Amino acid sequence: MADALLQLRRLVDAVHPLSAEDWEVLSGIWTPFSAGRKEVLTTEGTMERYLYFVMEGVQRVYYFDDQDREATLVFTYAPSFGGVLDALLLQQPSRYFYETLTPSSFLRASYVELDRLMQARPGIAHMVRKGLTHALSGVLERLAELQCYTAEEKFNKVLQRSPHIFRLIPHKYIANYLGMDATNFSKLINKQRI
Amino acid sequence: MLVFTKNGPGVAGYICCIKIVNMKAVDKDRLLDDLGKLVDDHIQSAVAVFQNMHSELLVKPAVNGGWSIAQCLEHLNRYGNYYIPLIRQGLARQKELTTGGTFKSGVIGAYFTRMMDPDKGKKKMRAFKEYIPGVELDGHAVVAEFIRQQEMLLTCIGWARRADLKGTRIPVSIMKWLKLRLGDVLQFVVMHDERHIRQAKRNCPMD
Repeated sequence: MADALLQLRRLVDAVHPLSAEDWEVLSGIWTPFSAGRKEVLTTEGTMERYLYFVMEGVQRVYYFDDQDREATLVFTYAPSFGGVLDALLLQQPSRYFYETLTPSSFLRASYVELDRLMQARPGIAHMVRKGLTHALSGVLERLAELQCYTAEEKFNKVLQRSPHIFRLIPHKYIANYLGMDATNFSKLINKQRI
Repeated sequence: MLVFTKNGPGVAGYICCIKIVNMKAVDKDRLLDDLGKLVDDHIQSAVAVFQNMHSELLVKPAVNGGWSIAQCLEHLNRYGNYYIPLIRQGLARQKELTTGGTFKSGVIGAYFTRMMDPDKGKKKMRAFKEYIPGVELDGHAVVAEFIRQQEMLLTCIGWARRADLKGTRIPVSIMKWLKLRLGDVLQFVVMHDERHIRQAKRNCPMD
């Protein structure tokens, strides 16, 4: 637990350094949690009760509808925050699923406790706002890539940004994330040495 | 010693001699833990190695002329196509939840599992005709299908924790008149996967 909190501290400090008092209270709301491969942590239509801090493994947030349409929206892996963030902070039923793609371990904090600290501690509220802004920035960057880049450019961008996930998760999830079909993805794999 | 014979359509005819051993009951959760670990390892091998290989390497025959990696996995996919939907249906049919407890293999189920286990059944076996894959395969499509099936099998093993592993019987693919306990089918399917994953790994080039 101490090592996990140290990793969390590093991430929090990288987003927005907290005072000793703010860190003291923030570090007290996390509990360890682990899950096996392909376990659904948040189901569409239910409330997102936790903010996760990923220590091990790869997970995804994805959309899935009654016509079997699926869209992988975000991958999460260590060290980063995870969960369906809009459902968490708006406290409305999630429109997405959050599932593990490999065996995973986390720290997690309940929304009730996180919200209490955000109300009481401006430093913590500021850190969460900055973290969310970075997340929004990443989403906008990805939207531009999805609309402008060729399939090969999108593939190369992911390979450059997150090369490790090609050996950690089934390619079908990466292909789905990029909006590519399996055949095109396979041709690009043949061009690279991964 | 139990001896049985069968001549049926599509099966050339065979005689099995099964040595009856006293089957021991094993802890159900521990058995499922062990099977889940093996399936997880199989997914791991496919994800970390096979799916990242060039498609030419996936379909390259073994040095000894044996099956390519894609052929090994396609062989498993064909069995998976048969067994995994039946395992799912068998689990879905069980209405009452049974957590914990033990599982005891049947005589024939235990024999099949031993025969498939690469550490115990060293004898080379000849595959049935409809399960022998051709050489012209789309290597990456075969690997992707293998991963899809293994993820489903892992989910089934999770569901099996709340099921009675003796409560459902599943017909054997190559002799449908023979029905085995769900727990035995799970064991021999996973052991069969292990056998051919080891074979596929022997085809991987050393980096």
